Amino acid sequence: MSTSQNTHEQTQFSKQADLTAKLVGLHVSKYNKNTIFLIILSVLSIIGLIGLIVKITNDGFDNPAKWGYYVTFVVFLLTTVQAAPMVAIAPFIAKGHWNRSISKVAQLFAPLGLINLLLFIPVLCVLPSLSDGRRTLWFFESLKMNAYMPHIITLISFICLVLLGIALLWISTVPDFAVLRENSKNTYNKKLFSILSNRWIGTSKQWFTQKHRIGILGAFYFMTLVILNFQISSDFAMSLIPGWIDSLYPATHTANSFQAGVATVIIAMYALRKWGGCKDFIGFDQFWALGKLMFALSLMWVWFFFSSFIIFWYGAKPTEKAIIELSMTGPYFIPFLGSAFLLFILPLLTMPFNRIRRSILGPTILAFFILIGSFLDRLRIYVPAYQLSDHPNKHNFYLPDVPKTILPDIPDLMIIVGGISAVILTYILLTKFIPVVSIWQQKELSLYKIHKKFHRTEVLVLGKPE
Amino acid sequence: MFNKRSVIGLFTDEDSVADALDKVSESGFKSTEYEILTGTPYPDGTFGDEEPKHKLYRFPIIGAMCGFIVGLLLTAGNQIAFPLITGGKPLLSIPPMLIIMYEGTMLGAILFTVFGIIFESRLPRLFMGAYDTKITEGYIGICITSSPDKMLQAEEVLKNSGAEEVKRGWE
Repeated sequence: MSTSQNTHEQTQFSKQADLTAKLVGLHVSKYNKNTIFLIILSVLSIIGLIGLIVKITNDGFDNPAKWGYYVTFVVFLLTTVQAAPMVAIAPFIAKGHWNRSISKVAQLFAPLGLINLLLFIPVLCVLPSLSDGRRTLWFFESLKMNAYMPHIITLISFICLVLLGIALLWISTVPDFAVLRENSKNTYNKKLFSILSNRWIGTSKQWFTQKHRIGILGAFYFMTLVILNFQISSDFAMSLIPGWIDSLYPATHTANSFQAGVATVIIAMYALRKWGGCKDFIGFDQFWALGKLMFALSLMWVWFFFSSFIIFWYGAKPTEKAIIELSMTGPYFIPFLGSAFLLFILPLLTMPFNRIRRSILGPTILAFFILIGSFLDRLRIYVPAYQLSDHPNKHNFYLPDVPKTILPDIPDLMIIVGGISAVILTYILLTKFIPVVSIWQQKELSLYKIHKKFHRTEVLVLGKPE
Repeated sequence: MFNKRSVIGLFTDEDSVADALDKVSESGFKSTEYEILTGTPYPDGTFGDEEPKHKLYRFPIIGAMCGFIVGLLLTAGNQIAFPLITGGKPLLSIPPMLIIMYEGTMLGAILFTVFGIIFESRLPRLFMGAYDTKITEGYIGICITSSPDKMLQAEEVLKNSGAEEVKRGWE
């Protein structure tokens, strides 16, 4: 064996050891123990819980019109927080290497689906049964279907999505739990990580099986997320609006979900880079790559939206005119304008410029606006949908008169602020147990990545094992 | 399985591990008696060891075939049992049958893949074998698991192969 080879291998070994020490150090450091911030988030979460209790007590479940903003918020969480793990899944399946540093950042959003699952229970109570005579894909009258089929099937999909997300996070973190098991000084932590690492010792077979499990669970998560988007958009929105027949809307809903999921991860990346001590691992490459993806998804969203719109606009039947007025030009014109501007026009006007796209702050600011745009887009659909539940023409095939705008009440605002705080709080608490930068993936990357002198400059050489 | 003992040798560089594996193999240990432990996934074949074999790909293929057959029988059987000419098309029209056959194929492939993952994973791992916490620091381990009478030979091979440390799993 040559000396040069030996030197390289020794360096490789020491690199692995240094990386482990650095990432374990990052995990146990005090960055996630900002007590004041955590207290503020906890207080806001409690306020949200109080808001929910007040809403249930005051409004009950018999008047769905009162729950429009609540449903909007639950669906917003589904299309942001629960879509975020896709950022880890898609590049893994496509064997991309740039996302290793941020895969855990994205996967950590998966368990937050549990909060949304709990918030989804009142939505199930609010959604009228099929026996109210509205037209749905279930053909309730003709097929003698159970009147609660939308509730049952959507709940099953929701539970599957949450379980898949948790399983995906756990399986991809098992090797990191083993590292923490070996490095924990606290007996309680040692015991906890021993259980979570599930006898992981790092045999070739364990690595091999883990790779396949991550790939297949990721594919199932993707499929379930798409199915859930279809179910929610058709059974919890479209079927409540008389005469709204649009096979493209569920696809538009899903496209926006992917766009908002990417935006959520970008914001989390920025926060972790700025305040989480992850500057060495979450860098320009990740922001650049995700910024481009977010822009592409913005274009995809508008393509779906416009395909639907043009059919309704040219068709110009009374039903179609009413739908356009209800969700775009009428009482919810401002949310529509806001969503169109923030989800498409703003990315289109800013992202083609290198100075914005090839930066860290540019995609982050845009991601923030895309999240606001997504909320407005959900609002202009779900609020009028639930508002129409007590409309006299709700069972007709078309909507002769469009109702007026309604605004959120105080409990709605408390729930929205509290819900967002609870999500952030839970994410921060999860980072106490799960490293935000995957230790094993970083070590794997160090095997394949070298900086090499190339004439008068230096280039990054990245090997691919496949 | 429970009448076995294991010993682990720790190495710091990949080529030494590959050379050591050759020696372990030459000493008469079968490929089922030793395995490599690492803190990060190395590409298949890095150490010259046998690539892990799996039959995962068979599950979706079998599932897809079963699903396709069920879809075919369901659509054809239904139309033969309840003959109803629709739109002047033949009784057994392929285009509408394709939809159900496609759905059946995909469903079969997915269900069999889930079953395949569980079967291939074969959880839990009952015999842990020798292990050292240094694996997570970057050391590479060769773990030999065999009958108690072969343990001295295993330790000897690992020491002679340049292992920085050899550790017994039963102590």
